[in-house]
Amino acid sequence: MTIFKLYFDKDAEEAWINDMSQKGWAFEKFFLGFYTFVPCKPGEYLYQIDLLESWAGDRDYFSNFMEELNIQVVSQWYRWVYLRKKASEGAFEMYTDPESKIRQYRRLMHFYIAGALLETWCLWLEFTAAIKLMAPTYWLFTLLVALMLLVFLRMIVKCNRKIQQLKNFPSR
Amino acid sequence: MENNMPLTEALYYILLSVRRPNHGYGIIQEIESITNSRVVLGAGTLYGAINSMLTRGWIRLYSEDKASRKKKEYLITDTGKEIFQKEVDRLSELLHNAKLMEETI
Repeated sequence: MTIFKLYFDKDAEEAWINDMSQKGWAFEKFFLGFYTFVPCKPGEYLYQIDLLESWAGDRDYFSNFMEELNIQVVSQWYRWVYLRKKASEGAFEMYTDPESKIRQYRRLMHFYIAGALLETWCLWLEFTAAIKLMAPTYWLFTLLVALMLLVFLRMIVKCNRKIQQLKNFPSR
Repeated sequence: MENNMPLTEALYYILLSVRRPNHGYGIIQEIESITNSRVVLGAGTLYGAINSMLTRGWIRLYSEDKASRKKKEYLITDTGKEIFQKEVDRLSELLHNAKLMEETI
C-alpha cells in the first residue's frame, strides 16, 4: 500500500508511521512524499526518524552502528533516515538525555533554516518575475513559495521552543 | 574550558564501560545493569557520544574485523582516563562537602 502525504514536522511524521504500525502496516520506503507500507502484525515495529549530520560519509557508518544494536535503517532519503526496531525487544527511543535531544533539534533547526533561506531566495525570484510579467501563474508560484516559507519558519520556531524547553526542564 | 565541564551521565558511564574493550550493545547493557535500569542509553545518544569521544581522543577503536563481521569494540585512552579521573575528583569533592549538611547550626 502506498500513501502520499506531505510532512514537514518530523515528530508528527514519526507518530503517524508508528500509528500505522499499530494498525498492522509496516513502513518500508519513502520517496518524494510517497510512503510504502506492507502488512505486519499490529504493533510489530517501533519507528524513529533521524536527520544525519552529513549526507555521504555518515551513511554506511551509521547504518552499521545501528545494525549492531538490532536497529534497522528501513529507508533513507537525503540526510533523513527511517529506523525501526522490533517492539518485542523493548522500548525504542533514539535520544535519551537532554543533551543529545537538544543536539538533534539543533540539527533539525539548521535544516529548516537552510530550507527557509532557499525559499526566501525563490520567493524573491518569483515575486520579481510576477511584478514584471503580471502573469497569474507567477503569482500562484509566489503564493506557493510564500506558504512553504511559512511552513519552514513555523518549524524553526517549533524546534527553538523544544530546545528552550529541554534547557529549562532537562528532565522532560 | 571544555575539559573543566562536568561530564554528562552518558559520557561518564560510557567511559567507565570501555575500561575494557566493549562494543555498542555491550556498553548499553553494562550501563543499564550497573544503574539498575535507571540509565538506558538510546542508540542515537550512544552514536553521538562515541563519535565525539573518538574525535576528542578520549576513546579509540580497539578492533574492527571486517572479514568475520565482528562488532566494533572501543577502548578508553590515557586522555580518557584523565578526563574520567578529573570527574571522579569533582564528584568526590561534592560528596565530601555534602557532609556539611549534617552539621547543626
